[in-house]
Amino acid sequence: MTSSPVKVLYIDDEENNLLAFKASFRRQYEIYTAISAAEGLKILQNISVEVIIADQKMPETTGVEFFKSISKNYPDPIRILLTGYTDITALADAINHGDIYRYITKPWNDLELHNSIKNAHDAYKAKIDLRNKVRELEKTNDELNRFIYSISHELRAPLVSVIGIVNLVKMEGLFNSSGEYWELIESCSVKLDYYIQKTLQYYKNNKNLSDKAEINFPKLVEEIIQEYSPNEPDTKFNVSINQTEPFYGDTFRIEVILGNLISNAIKYQKEEAGAKLVDISIHVSMISAEIIIKDNGLGILNEHLDKIFTQFFKAKNNRGSGLGLFIVKEALNKIGGTISVSSAVNQGTTFKINIPNAS
Amino acid sequence: MPANLNTKPIIMLVDDNIIDLKINSKLIEITGMFSEIIACKSGQEALHYFSSSANQADKLPTLILLDIQMPEMDGFEFLEHYKKFPSAFKEKCAVAMLSSTLDFGDIQRAQANPHVIKLMKKPLQLIDLKKLAGNRS
Repeated sequence: MTSSPVKVLYIDDEENNLLAFKASFRRQYEIYTAISAAEGLKILQNISVEVIIADQKMPETTGVEFFKSISKNYPDPIRILLTGYTDITALADAINHGDIYRYITKPWNDLELHNSIKNAHDAYKAKIDLRNKVRELEKTNDELNRFIYSISHELRAPLVSVIGIVNLVKMEGLFNSSGEYWELIESCSVKLDYYIQKTLQYYKNNKNLSDKAEINFPKLVEEIIQEYSPNEPDTKFNVSINQTEPFYGDTFRIEVILGNLISNAIKYQKEEAGAKLVDISIHVSMISAEIIIKDNGLGILNEHLDKIFTQFFKAKNNRGSGLGLFIVKEALNKIGGTISVSSAVNQGTTFKINIPNAS
Repeated sequence: MPANLNTKPIIMLVDDNIIDLKINSKLIEITGMFSEIIACKSGQEALHYFSSSANQADKLPTLILLDIQMPEMDGFEFLEHYKKFPSAFKEKCAVAMLSSTLDFGDIQRAQANPHVIKLMKKPLQLIDLKKLAGNRS
């Protein structure tokens, strides 16, 4: 592998030193010299230098002052400070503020300086490599997210067509014409759709952007109940919402949290139809929204309680994806909320959520 | 408002997905709510229909069910054209979006668009359609 020589900038107010440096190192490096900090800056503006060596004792601007001044606009080049005498304050300043890689005393020893430049260049390369790797990873991650997002949408469109066909079959009175086959097709399609929806929710939640909008809890809860209750007409909802303060938060995540919890409360009910109840109580203050969602359903075994927020954990076979509560937890993490759960088998489950008000 | 109350209204479907076009046409046909179903495979086709039958009021739909994600001209781009139509036309011919999207951005955009009376999710539900048609008459 051929690589271009390392670009080194040397700043010193003594012309002789600049000449000596050039003479010693011009075969190994691409050398730029400057007689003052101001001249050095001009070179930096035009050439992407990898290693900078600066003399400490210069009129107008010292070496450390120069390093400090360029730390914001030129953070990448590795800095080596050169000084004629061991000035302890300069040394402390250099370490604390100048982001110095090496400190070399004058007169320099060619071999020592050469090794230092070589090491500095390695450090420079490692720094750039790491940054490129991070950038690459971010890009791959982003692409993966986008891929999952669009493939989920693409998968969902034909699936929704299948569900539409099943609806047509029902309307035409053919649903029971082939034994239970249509019913099986319907339940498989609905289940697949559920998985796709949860996947989308998960990836959407993974994205970091979060919007801050005013949330109207009474309206939101009503919409969610309307969305999930049509298939469970005998579930009774007690909704009590106390919202006098405006609440600001991430609409998508709050909708995901309430949607998953309310649909769970509807779904995990006892087989024998009793009075199926879902209590939703929300209290909004300037600081946060306290939400309690309580059902009188199946409940959760005590030993399962600490696992329900884990990915793909399913307490009941054949129902749900093991993603709902995991997504709830992830979404709460992103917006600084908390959740706690208490449950008794066959008596019901209560989730308590706290979401900070971002107003 | 159309004077003749005896004739049933016309509905237009705009969807690039031919299967959905077929399913939704059939479903609407079964309801018997509409006298005619105009099925367009693209926004351009729909616009073309409007320009060729602009002078025949009895051929214009009272409801357009518009898909969001379509190649070339998507639902929102179609709405940009729709926006420029005379207000008398827009009054008579309302747009509801019908899509399988779960994209929050799409949903928000559809809800925010003043020309969209409703965003409906696929598969098309009879109750939704009846509600919509009920509100319009």
